[in-house]
Amino acid sequence: MENKEDDFYIGYVDNISVKTKKTVTNFVFFGILTLITIAVIFAFTQNTFKNSTFELTTNTKIMGVYHEMPYPMLKVKTAENTFKNILLLGFGKSSANPFLKKIRNEISQLSGSMVSIEGNLIYYNGKTLLQITNDEKITLVEKANSQKLPQTKSLVKDMELKGEIIDPKCYFGVMKPGKGKIHRSCAVLCISGGIPPVLATTDENNISEYYLITDLKGNPINKKILPYIGKPSLLTGNIVQLEDWYQLQIDVNTIKDLNRPSKIY
Amino acid sequence: MGVNYQPVLWNRNKKIYDKWIVIGMLIYLLCFIGITIITNNETSVETLIIRAFGTLAIALLHIILVIGPLARLNSKFLPLLYNRRHLGVSMFLAALVHGGFSVFQFHSLGNVNPIYAIFTSNMDYGSLANFPFQVLGFFALVILFLMAATSHDFWLKNLSPKTWKRLHMMVYLAYGLIILHVFLGALQQQPSIGSIAIMSLGFITIATLHLVTGSKETKADKTKTQHIENGWEYVCDIDEVPEDRAKIFIVGKERIAVFKYDNKLSAISNVCKHQGGPLGEGKVVDGCVTCPWHGYQYLPHNGQSPPPFTEKIATYRLKNDNNKIYVLPEALAEGTEVEPITF
Ligand code: HEM
Ligand code: FES
Repeated sequence: MENKEDDFYIGYVDNISVKTKKTVTNFVFFGILTLITIAVIFAFTQNTFKNSTFELTTNTKIMGVYHEMPYPMLKVKTAENTFKNILLLGFGKSSANPFLKKIRNEISQLSGSMVSIEGNLIYYNGKTLLQITNDEKITLVEKANSQKLPQTKSLVKDMELKGEIIDPKCYFGVMKPGKGKIHRSCAVLCISGGIPPVLATTDENNISEYYLITDLKGNPINKKILPYIGKPSLLTGNIVQLEDWYQLQIDVNTIKDLNRPSKIY
Repeated sequence: MGVNYQPVLWNRNKKIYDKWIVIGMLIYLLCFIGITIITNNETSVETLIIRAFGTLAIALLHIILVIGPLARLNSKFLPLLYNRRHLGVSMFLAALVHGGFSVFQFHSLGNVNPIYAIFTSNMDYGSLANFPFQVLGFFALVILFLMAATSHDFWLKNLSPKTWKRLHMMVYLAYGLIILHVFLGALQQQPSIGSIAIMSLGFITIATLHLVTGSKETKADKTKTQHIENGWEYVCDIDEVPEDRAKIFIVGKERIAVFKYDNKLSAISNVCKHQGGPLGEGKVVDGCVTCPWHGYQYLPHNGQSPPPFTEKIATYRLKNDNNKIYVLPEALAEGTEVEPITF
């Protein structure tokens, strides 16, 4: 005689004893409560996201004077006598240069030319960038006129600045967070793909300033700066103003890792 | 069982199980996504997906890892073990969404192959503070993939239960990698008491349950037989074995199960051919020893699965001397018929 009182669960037999059922029901109930608790904790402990924007699905056409000092930008008139320099970027983790090849071949001089470009805007905290996804969407409006190029102004020599080297594409909108350890690998790939490195600083009053980083001669740096990206660092260099942007001219070897925030607890 | 590699077929219990997996996952995602959109609405869709699915995967992994020891400690939890592979595959899918989106977002569209980029875009392998935590997640995901891909009984057969079991024990390695992945990654950039506490609590719960279960089983292993007479080992008295149930002993180096049914006693290997389940914790149902884990069945007097199934386990000779049970420690060939002792 089989002992029916003796509770034994067999998965493929549909009936299940009351006691076992109760244990399983309690487990499911408790499990779902645990899931909710975990979701609440992880959701609430995220840092606040910035209101940076990437218009992934909206194309915007902008017109302005192209220049590269040394990074590709478009000087766009926003009102009478006010201009904004929009940093140009390529698709994905690439600089604008591959997308500018075609127009460079078509016209003798691109710098100083008035061009119109259609792409996706990226903006945050007063800075605007444009992602170019198609080299067909760049058209010449007016031939080069060096008078229209922006003026640079040397401001300070040997200035010390603390901050984090970021890739501006992600930082100003494409990714959240677009800085720090989580984002570091991505920033490294962006900058090695030709996107200009930018130093982001924040002062005691939480006011941020941004500096396009070049070498001491004002040429682009990409590969050499990779080991310093996404970490709090101390940079020393000369500051040059390019209208609404600053540039920081440095010797890469003088960058100091501050070994700060991304600390181990 | 052995005939078509599908011993664990669809049935009502599995459907209920799967329904609750889906409900649990949806509740989790709704909570995480809802709270984030309401309280932190500047998030990006990609980050929302990456975080919702990453944290869902680790939450599910904890649930998976507590079921094992709970079922060992109390047989009423066994129904949770029965269909755990579906929970495992669901967890893998959540982890895949997380890892896939992360690789696409952070490592793709660059000037090198994304997988190569996971390993090379951050080369600070020597530093804890800067360690490339994505590499740890990647290896964990590979392990979870191998487990999910081989979860079907077809693979259990083809890889042999031993290899299969070894592969699936790697879940603990994956768990360790994921813990490091989180502590050296997200928790470094946004440390908070809440998230560190919940991760630590999870780890402590799993470690404690495994230690408790482990020590209980080691104790059980110590109940070795004492008297040996002419090669026969005394194991227990007849009335110590409950009706339709077994007692487990170690004779030689093997665990055996001595079953009592219909005024008879038979001894078989304690190890189920399916996934090594403890047959001695099973029950004789319809004349067959039934494994507590997934219900494989064996006839107690010959260790053979009833036709059409083909599994066979070792049997042992028993002797009754004044209501004292003695076992001959040599295992007989799998499926050997042994006359049960009667009383
Ligand atoms: C290719 C494999 C993987 C990659 C590239 C990867 C990448 C990442 C990244 C970049 C983050 C930070 C995301 C952020 O906070 O914005 C992260 C966090 C996290 N990952 Fe992974 N991961 C991988 C695999 C896994 C696996 C297999 C699991 C667990 C099953 C996992 C669980 C988590 C958890 C719980 C977090 C913290 C919460 C979060 O921020 O999303 N990851 N992972
Ligand atoms: S039935 Fe799966 S281990 Fe015995």
